[in-house]
Amino acid sequence: MKRTLVGIALVAAGLVFAAPAYADPDTDFANELHTYGIYGQKDYNAWIGKIACKRLNNGTDQDAFKSAQFVSMQLDKDSNTEQAWQFLGAALRTYCPDKLPVLAAAAR
Amino acid sequence: MLKKAGIAITAMGAIAICLPGVASADATDDYPIPNRILKTTCTVDQYMAAVRDTDPVYYERYMTDYKNRPADVQQGARDRIYWFFSLDYAGRRQYSEDTATNIYYEQMATRWGNWAKLFFNNKGVAAHGTDVCTNYPPNDPTVWNW
Repeated sequence: MKRTLVGIALVAAGLVFAAPAYADPDTDFANELHTYGIYGQKDYNAWIGKIACKRLNNGTDQDAFKSAQFVSMQLDKDSNTEQAWQFLGAALRTYCPDKLPVLAAAAR
Repeated sequence: MLKKAGIAITAMGAIAICLPGVASADATDDYPIPNRILKTTCTVDQYMAAVRDTDPVYYERYMTDYKNRPADVQQGARDRIYWFFSLDYAGRRQYSEDTATNIYYEQMATRWGNWAKLFFNNKGVAAHGTDVCTNYPPNDPTVWNW
């Protein structure tokens, strides 16, 4: 089950490249979230994505599971675990691609 | 008869207007400092670590503001909030009263107006943080190093 969820986070890479290139990564990020049915304020979601990166960088979250848990806490109450992982995958791709190996490690 | 009643009503109305006026300068159990903060048994570190998880954007903004202050102001703010958390309920309530009735009471605020924003300014944030703060370690220096 866990593996499937992490896989979901890894999947969407193709989507990002297919989208038209905006100058604003926050817009790209919001657009990708929309494809997962995650809405809400664009700026708020961008903050959460960037803070998720920061938490991985400074060790507050030690792995992708902790990270997904953090994201999950910030999403609407009716969001599901799958969406939290999708959010996390999108955030890492958009704001800290150097952290993508954390996601890959969780998928193993 | 009508006149008398009118005067009585007017007089009562005037009293009703006066009473809340007298009290308005005082602190309440929720203002200026939220009740949850007056009553929590958590340490500063526990509360901050909790808010870092429950209201990360609010925490982020506070820490950005904090980092933009000179070192002595940062130190002053830290010392002051640890001092506040060392007080019991009665002491915190008194402090709330003192800051509500005298804008010059809190000297820290002259150096940094929002020095305690994470703790005092938002009831929702205080509620979310104090709900779960006991789950965090009492001492965690990383909360100031963000």
